Amino acid sequence: MRCDEFIAKTGLVDAECVDDSTVLVRAKNVLETAEKLAEYGPRYSTGVGIDYRPINRSYLMHHVLALDKDGLFIVLEASTGDPEPSIKSITPVYPAANWHEREAMDMLGIRFENHPEPYRLILPDDWPEGVYPLRKDYPYDEKPYDPRSIADRAAPRYFSAKTGVGEKRVAAEIPLGPYHPALHEPEYYELIVEGERIVEARYRGFYVHRGMEKLAESRLTYNQIPFLAERICGICGYTHATAYCQAVEKAADIRVPVRAEYIRSILLEIERLHSHLLWFGVAFHLLGFDTGFMITWRLREKIMDLAELLTGNRKTYGLNLVGGVRRDIDEAKARAVLEALDYIEGKFKALIKQVKDMGEIIARTKNIGILTRDEARKLGAVGPHARASGVDIDVRRDYPYAAYKYVDVNVPVMDGCDVLSRILVRYEETLESIRLLRVFIREIPAGGLMAEYGDIPELRIGIGVTEAPRGEDIHYVVTGRENKIYRWRPRAPSYMNLATVPYMLVGEKLANAPIIIASIDPCFSCTDHVIVIDVGSGRKMSLMKALRMI
Amino acid sequence: MVASRIAFISEIKKKPVTEQYPYKPISVPEGFRGKPVIDPEKCIGCGACVNACPPGALSIYDEGNYRVVKLFLGRCIFCGRCQDVCPMGAVRLTDMFELASLSRDDLVQEVRLLLEKCSLCGKAFATRREVRHVEEKLDPEQRWLAHLCPRCRALVSAKMIGYARGCNR
Repeated sequence: MRCDEFIAKTGLVDAECVDDSTVLVRAKNVLETAEKLAEYGPRYSTGVGIDYRPINRSYLMHHVLALDKDGLFIVLEASTGDPEPSIKSITPVYPAANWHEREAMDMLGIRFENHPEPYRLILPDDWPEGVYPLRKDYPYDEKPYDPRSIADRAAPRYFSAKTGVGEKRVAAEIPLGPYHPALHEPEYYELIVEGERIVEARYRGFYVHRGMEKLAESRLTYNQIPFLAERICGICGYTHATAYCQAVEKAADIRVPVRAEYIRSILLEIERLHSHLLWFGVAFHLLGFDTGFMITWRLREKIMDLAELLTGNRKTYGLNLVGGVRRDIDEAKARAVLEALDYIEGKFKALIKQVKDMGEIIARTKNIGILTRDEARKLGAVGPHARASGVDIDVRRDYPYAAYKYVDVNVPVMDGCDVLSRILVRYEETLESIRLLRVFIREIPAGGLMAEYGDIPELRIGIGVTEAPRGEDIHYVVTGRENKIYRWRPRAPSYMNLATVPYMLVGEKLANAPIIIASIDPCFSCTDHVIVIDVGSGRKMSLMKALRMI
Repeated sequence: MVASRIAFISEIKKKPVTEQYPYKPISVPEGFRGKPVIDPEKCIGCGACVNACPPGALSIYDEGNYRVVKLFLGRCIFCGRCQDVCPMGAVRLTDMFELASLSRDDLVQEVRLLLEKCSLCGKAFATRREVRHVEEKLDPEQRWLAHLCPRCRALVSAKMIGYARGCNR
């Protein structure tokens, strides 16, 4: 469905077309409009708070709702003004809006009325009250306080599956994460266990918020941001750079040459292969099948070599600019890709065939970490994680971009809702990636690599969306003047998927926690320190200390 | 159980795949994006690379009679944008990647270029090489204009236009 058809069908007032696939709805009463739109069954995709005061003295909150069947984005705009910006929360209608609204609350100081959990999410617990870093009058290089001078810190608050802010009630709590010195990213899970069973799980993240949005809008120019966007993630960076470029291209109506689109798609699929193979390795390692870990990572090394050959770097390919790509793929390189694919495909199929026969692995993954279809939809899960719960979404098919416009993408969907399904979905996807790469290499047309364009117009909205290895990656931009962006909000897929983890953990055995958390393919912190609580005194001590006392 | 043992046994018979790096050198493919090097013979100090550099690894500033283009590898992300935009082909990404060093100075490259002074007001405004580069692109009778700083050039040009139009005030 096209944008104008949608407006005609719904009879929305105050709606306009931003482009063919984006509707902007300026709502007077955001909650009412959100409820009305909920009839069409949209998936909450991202929420963007914007300090619009320099333009019209207001703050804007843009909720982006996705109608996957129609390939349409609805931007629901709510506005409010100084001195006490306040907007009705739509979290009661769309539970997935929870984090997005809290992020706008933290970063811009917008209050959300009737929000079920109006607590800090992004900012550190010792960040001073009333200091909002994403407001335009806040300098990008200012430090609000000297972290060393803070004497007493506020107690951290958690996102929880069962209760909002957790109260202590059970005997043992097991922290997973967050300060592992060597591995992965800092994220913190607090698991409350009764015996072997997890009865409650709380999550606290955002330890590595790096202020990239502020940096981009205050210091960098349009063509510098792709390199920053690429550094959002160390595994799927190129998909972020692509989503950003697509967002700006959409806002400025820049047509990327077809050859450049194919090159982008080739690199995106190479990145997906590397990411999925990496994930298989991690998953096998967590399941105790280290031979599988060795095999998949050895195969992955071929992909890393390919990336180095095509881009000049193993990771952070650095090939995207607004309007196209920077480097061509010649005959010899294309041949190298095809040869490596043949090698990987055979070995990988043989490995997974063996894995499917391994009783140990099936026993540890089947019916483990259940996320039902309804929960997945409600929480806005995306990517292979959602597809393993029977939610049939894939950006490459639903919102075709780059060279996916010219080919058919097969989307594997399974309804096991468990860890095993997530493994199998990713297996099918890996094979599909290999197939797509062969198609792209065969069909890539001749042509230029970079579009010609002039100045990028001011205050246009652009949504760039890609299917990252972990799911939908959506970048929202508002263009600015003087070759700079006004607002850039990237939302990585794990942002949506992490909120589902506490739901999957509750009721499971503790030993399954690592693979359940890993099954969404986050970058999670390691699991090696345990706190033992003496139930009588409530005293906490480390496991090592407890063992020494025995 | 059987399947995982078969996988294990078939793997253990294979030779190690570990590369003997750093005891043996490792090769990188053509087009590898390694350490950028500025050719001090070609650089004209125009600052195009400084404008393009996303992480701010390149900077440009004046010191006495010299303009300094400074590359600090500690900030470099090896994207190669400097190489893309350099009008003189002076910046080049090499295949060097072993950059670890005990001294910070090893990570800095400085190109010092003599500044040209405005022939009217005497203020330094561009490097001598940049002026020469511009000069070569101008018609011989216009070349003296390249030796004026932007402010003086604007004033002189305005006066010349005034003369030409006959409003001699």
